[in-house]
Amino acid sequence: MSTLQSLNGSPFLLGFLFNHEQVRNMSRVKRRNTHPGYWLPLKNVQKKDDKISADNLRFVREVIQDKYKNKSPLKGSELQIEKTEWDPKTKRSGVIARNIGRQQMWDKAGNKIVCTVLHVLDNHVIRYIPPEEYVKTSRGAIHFKNKTPLGCLVVGAEATNPEKFTRQYCNLFSEVGLLPKKTLSRFIITPNAALPPCTPITAGHFLVGQAVDVYGKTIDHGFQGVVKRWGFKGGPASHGATKFHRRGGTIGTGRDKARVWPGTKMPGHMGSERRYNRGLMIMRINMKYNVIYVKGTVPGATNSMVRIFDTLLPLRKLKEAPPHPTYFPPEEGTQKEEDIWDSSLHVYGSPSISV
Amino acid sequence: MLRRVVLQTFRQGLAQSFFKRNAASLSESAVTQHPIETSEEASEKSGSKQKNGDESGNTVVVAPPEFRFMYPEFLPDPTMERRNKLKEKLERMDMLQRRSIIEIPEFYTGSIMAVTVADSNSPNKFARFVGICIQRGGSGLQAWFILRNVVDRQGVEILYEMYCPLIQKIEVLRLERRLDESLLYLRDALPEYSTFPFEMEAERRLNNSVVPINPIKVKLRPRPWLERWERQNLQGVEDLNLPQRYYDRAKEVAKPWEKYDLMLQYRKTIPAEEQEKIYAEVHSQLQQQDLKRKIKRRRGPSSEQ
Repeated sequence: MSTLQSLNGSPFLLGFLFNHEQVRNMSRVKRRNTHPGYWLPLKNVQKKDDKISADNLRFVREVIQDKYKNKSPLKGSELQIEKTEWDPKTKRSGVIARNIGRQQMWDKAGNKIVCTVLHVLDNHVIRYIPPEEYVKTSRGAIHFKNKTPLGCLVVGAEATNPEKFTRQYCNLFSEVGLLPKKTLSRFIITPNAALPPCTPITAGHFLVGQAVDVYGKTIDHGFQGVVKRWGFKGGPASHGATKFHRRGGTIGTGRDKARVWPGTKMPGHMGSERRYNRGLMIMRINMKYNVIYVKGTVPGATNSMVRIFDTLLPLRKLKEAPPHPTYFPPEEGTQKEEDIWDSSLHVYGSPSISV
Repeated sequence: MLRRVVLQTFRQGLAQSFFKRNAASLSESAVTQHPIETSEEASEKSGSKQKNGDESGNTVVVAPPEFRFMYPEFLPDPTMERRNKLKEKLERMDMLQRRSIIEIPEFYTGSIMAVTVADSNSPNKFARFVGICIQRGGSGLQAWFILRNVVDRQGVEILYEMYCPLIQKIEVLRLERRLDESLLYLRDALPEYSTFPFEMEAERRLNNSVVPINPIKVKLRPRPWLERWERQNLQGVEDLNLPQRYYDRAKEVAKPWEKYDLMLQYRKTIPAEEQEKIYAEVHSQLQQQDLKRKIKRRRGPSSEQ
């Protein structure tokens, strides 16, 4: 008995007998938020059946058109952006994109490469919050508790009809003069990468060959059993097994602390979790359609939104200056290259590979 | 009004061309749908070409209905969760780029083909394989087909991805169809049905508009087989000569209601209107590529002389 007590705290023996420590940490982390914060403005219009006549509806639409008529997205030349230098410690803005599927390509040796196609939607900068202000917010205070504060750039994507949203939500954009966006996102940036409101961010923000991190919410599998969710083996399919094919089995011992330990693996909601896929290389950028081809896969289902930003991985970080603070197409209308491929890829219009 | 006419001709043409291509008769004349062009009337709404080109009175280009059978890989995967119009459009552009380099001819399961691939391990750096196409599938750049042949009494099957840049040449030596869409039963058939000489030469097509159907009935080896062929309603196989209990069990397990299940068919296919749009988009480029190749072929032998 005394030997057991003395060895109780030892991690080696604990792992040898039962691995409660690890299980508890994994399953006790808050894995998903299904509702937005109470401090955020209500977004979608709640009551949809507004009993107004067709004439009045037309008038409302005319008013909306007039309000947003002159607010066309600005070009690079019209914006007043300070010329700042890029250094390896700069944190640039990111981009909101939609995962539109996977496409395969081949490299010059004939090996197949599966890429995820990300469509960079119409991103516009909504607001820049300088470091001194951002630290005072509740989120910023947590983020920069013992570190030097950084600024925050609020970017929106996918402009939609203002009729779908509440007045409070539309006001976030009307101060800047933009049509309300469906998705909003924050990117933590260093002050030298700040951008003025209404700046468009396109696929040219990134370089072909650079590594990026992609943040998204994984595929929502719903309520799942223990076999799919945790990889349990279940029970035998035949040989007389009575009602025990995909169940968990025992959930605890009878002796030591006789109860179900918090964090025990059980059936529950699986998926729809925040995940980052880090260090994905950009293989190809299509400037005309604002599409990025990224090597590998990305969290989330097809047609879901993701956020892309320069990688944090130390060995794959940017060494040369990217378009800083963001990319602006050249003044004379058309660009030189519409479709930029990585040098290792086989371009489809070029002759077949002969080994 | 014009739109309805266009749709009808496409759908009627689909049915007509299907029957024509399945008929081995030589008397039928070639059905070529010329692009329907209307005079450019002054239109109030200048709609985009793709969306409602016919309604606004601009030129309407309709691809021939045979395209649905000649180029099935241009249609995307029908699973609704994974569809995205922009991605499909970009993929089609890439496919056309690749097709401008090599000719990917029209073929069906049952056609005998020869594929030349760049291979670092073979003596002359190119490997040529001749075989019968037993299955084809995939959509977009992932389109593939399997060729089967028997080499030195060993059955060999190779899966080729149609848009792989290692492929140097795809030739169709004999263009024909069989009674089934998938010839996987050749694995359990007598080897003579899968043997084709590597020195086989390309056969000239007698009739350009009709693809002949080979009504051959293949003899299978005695059991055991790789699959339960009696449950698959195969047309191209001789009588299996099995005990009656096999056929009884096949009847119990069969799902005869599936052919009446409209939603199942709807989920497995791309609707006709979308197919029209897709083929109208790629039609002109494919025709141009075809024309260029024909001119090159005609000039080739004449330039030598």
